[in-house]
Amino acid sequence: MPGTDLIERFLAAAASTTASVETVQRDDEALNDALLRSAGDGPIIFASAGDVDPNLFSRFRENEKVISHPTIDEMKTIRVGVTDAFCGIASTGSVCVSIGRELNGPVSSLTRKHIAVLDGNTIVPRPRDVFSEEYLGGKGLRRSFSFITGPSATADMGPLVRGVHGPGKLHIIVLV
Amino acid sequence: MRDNYPDEIHPREVANKSSKESLQKAIRMALRIESDALRLNTQTFNANRYTAVGKLEDYEELKDRAREIKESSIRNLPDLIERLTRAVESRGGRVFLAKTKKEATDYIQSVCQSSGARLVVKAKSITSEEIGINHVLQDVGIEVAETDLAEFILQVSNEQPSHIVAPAIHRSRERISKLFKEHFKTEKSLDTGEELTEFARDILREKFLAADVGITGANLVSADEGTILLVESEGNIRLTTQLPAVHIAIAGIEKIIPSRKNFGTFIELLAASGTGQPLSSYTNILEPPLDLPVLNLNGREDTKREFHLVLLDNGRMKMREDPDLKEALYCVRCSACMNVCATFQAVGGHAFGGECYTGGIGGAWTVGTTGKLEDGRFAELCTGCTRCVPNCPVRIDIPRLNTVIKERLMKSEGGASLEKRFFGNFSAMAKFASLAPTLSNWINNLSASRTILENVASVDKRRKLPSFSKKTLVREYEEYRKKNAPPFGSQAMPRRLVLFADVFTNYQNAKVGMATVRVFEKLDLPITLSKVMDDGRSAQSQGLLDSARKSAVRLAVYLKKLIDDGVDIIVAEPSVLSMFRLDYGRLLDAEGVFSALKSHTFDPVEWLNGFADRNSDFANRLESRMKPAARPPEIFYHAHCQMKTIGAGTAAPEFFRRLGLKVETSNVECCGMAGSFGYKKEYYDISKNIGRDLGRQIEKSIQSNASVIVLASGTSCREQIHGELSRNVQHPIELIDELL
Ligand code: SF4
Ligand code: SF4
Repeated sequence: MPGTDLIERFLAAAASTTASVETVQRDDEALNDALLRSAGDGPIIFASAGDVDPNLFSRFRENEKVISHPTIDEMKTIRVGVTDAFCGIASTGSVCVSIGRELNGPVSSLTRKHIAVLDGNTIVPRPRDVFSEEYLGGKGLRRSFSFITGPSATADMGPLVRGVHGPGKLHIIVLV
Repeated sequence: MRDNYPDEIHPREVANKSSKESLQKAIRMALRIESDALRLNTQTFNANRYTAVGKLEDYEELKDRAREIKESSIRNLPDLIERLTRAVESRGGRVFLAKTKKEATDYIQSVCQSSGARLVVKAKSITSEEIGINHVLQDVGIEVAETDLAEFILQVSNEQPSHIVAPAIHRSRERISKLFKEHFKTEKSLDTGEELTEFARDILREKFLAADVGITGANLVSADEGTILLVESEGNIRLTTQLPAVHIAIAGIEKIIPSRKNFGTFIELLAASGTGQPLSSYTNILEPPLDLPVLNLNGREDTKREFHLVLLDNGRMKMREDPDLKEALYCVRCSACMNVCATFQAVGGHAFGGECYTGGIGGAWTVGTTGKLEDGRFAELCTGCTRCVPNCPVRIDIPRLNTVIKERLMKSEGGASLEKRFFGNFSAMAKFASLAPTLSNWINNLSASRTILENVASVDKRRKLPSFSKKTLVREYEEYRKKNAPPFGSQAMPRRLVLFADVFTNYQNAKVGMATVRVFEKLDLPITLSKVMDDGRSAQSQGLLDSARKSAVRLAVYLKKLIDDGVDIIVAEPSVLSMFRLDYGRLLDAEGVFSALKSHTFDPVEWLNGFADRNSDFANRLESRMKPAARPPEIFYHAHCQMKTIGAGTAAPEFFRRLGLKVETSNVECCGMAGSFGYKKEYYDISKNIGRDLGRQIEKSIQSNASVIVLASGTSCREQIHGELSRNVQHPIELIDELL
């Protein structure tokens, strides 16, 4: 099955970017568990562009520590951010996160830890496929977004350091 | 601030290379202070690039497509600018086409002032360095915070970038620690990469949260949707474009491509060619003004996002009309040509670069954007080794651009200097000297004549001059033929063989030429010798293009006739072979002549190896032809830079492995001698610095096996290695001659 193959390749590539990655059943309870486990203690800011079935987040949203409408202060002090992603890239282990009316963009860039939720059916083979009509119903052609490939990193201070202006930790949950 | 530039020279003071003195000072500073960090960092990028492009299955096709897109974009530029303007304006953004730096900075200043900005956060942008926006804003009381960590370092130390992708690549961790400790006078420990990063991040996070305006560059801009591509790894571009309500992007007009779909061709190519990654951490595809609500984390009450795209001409339209410099407009600023370049690895962009553009491609960009030829003087540091050519994702002939700049600079400064004429006319000089080689060699190395040479022609006294063969190849060959009839030849031989008597082999390396003749004939492959003719290499390397072209045309006519008669041409000197297979494409007008030369000229070992590939009989007999030896030799082989570029660099190791021998190969891109480069007084130190890199590798090999045989195909590579290690270095064909 080509789908499974893409997921396997995605998992391997994502791991090689030093992101952590797991597969989780397409189920709101399972997703809730996985999200809480990887988020750890403290408040979680959640933003979704509707790219992953919103019903799957219904259980997660009920948690008290999950903030869907953050205040300015909450945004300024964010430590853990959860967003959906509209596609994944098998060859590079990247997730594509929208920058639009919802807060996916800032939530995934201001936070220390970013957890991205990806539907396994939206994985495409290569980065360039995001710019083709054939894939994803052309979604990649009609929006602002970022390919996120591993945590933020720099070699400017000498050795490679992870966690600069963007998150030092990236966790990817692939729904299967 | 002098911080860790203890001596008199700070990089900023010698950023402009219009005078020869500033170029010399910059070289001295870079070799003394920056070289070690540069070599380590560029070589890491370089190795990662080879790995990353190796994983791109259709790397060559992607490069072709990228080149096509860029060519057609530059061709249709006026139309693309119009379409882009409509696209951005239809979404509520503004486009400002700035003809000059001043127009660009005036516009940006007025946008910042009218939005009441006190603090601007800025992402890395070489184009913003080109217009000098920071000083303009600071002069009117607006603080500018560079948020890319490398740019942050440079802002602290007041230096210009030394590399277009990693602008502080010349600084080791130790030198950054020292700088920060002196500058920030903090109690915090700043002794590891993590500590330094955390420290800078905390300072900059405050700036991000307070900023009024964000300024970025753009890797590419698509005309159809006004989409900008911004590649980064730290996440500062994401914050710069999303936090403040006002975003200003500065892009040279050459960054425009027709369609957003075209990004697909570039994103993997850029990441692989630049930092050697499958993709950088963040590849941002933005259609500003963004839909994202204004966040007002800075405490303002902005209600609407604003976007201003500043398109910069500043000489680019003129470059577009220039038949030579136009090619530089295709550059996508990936930095592959810097990381692969042996000169750059040694001195970096503070010497091999100007006020903002660096490396091999930097000369054309500096000249194009400042309009002053002399600002591109650092193009002299391009040795023409060609290692950048196959590694450029848009296939720019970078050494050619530098040759053109050298030529124009020379003409503008009153014609060829004695030095250029000396190095550029090797053929005539060699002919004269060879009339009495022993006398010439003696005079050559007299201290008095060396002083004259150094003063008149800038030939460094410390270099041993290449000596002339006692007899020319032509004479040796005549004597050999008198005693040896050609063998009958093998049925399988596809074409007849002629050894080209290039000027280097004829006058200086007759023994290499004769070894070639003997090896072929020992293997029953008859070979004859051509006339001696100049190929134009020496003239070209001095920027004497007219003279190079004349030689090329004369020689091409002669060789083409031989090829038409069914001959393969064997060329023992790699730099000459590379003329036929690479440079003649530009020097000759006739495409047909070039393609004949390209497919029928060979390095001797390359020809033998190819013949063995196609002819199993011949291959099988090879090992048995070897003289019985007590112990088979082990080999260290350094492939000549241009041989690698034309695809002939792996033939010798393969052939020796066929003979059952063990071969280790060097991984330095170029020996640093590069023809005449290493002889010049001005560049002697750079050349030796590069040579030491190769020397160290060979020494390591010798340590594990003292009797290792060192081989190099290029005359100048052999001289360089000999100078480093005082060890005998042979052309591979000479060893084969001994083995058969
Ligand atoms: S030709 Fe060689 S020296 Fe010149 S820019 Fe390219 S790599 Fe550097
Ligand atoms: S000239 Fe080519 S290799 Fe050099 S930076 Fe530009 S695109 Fe990259």
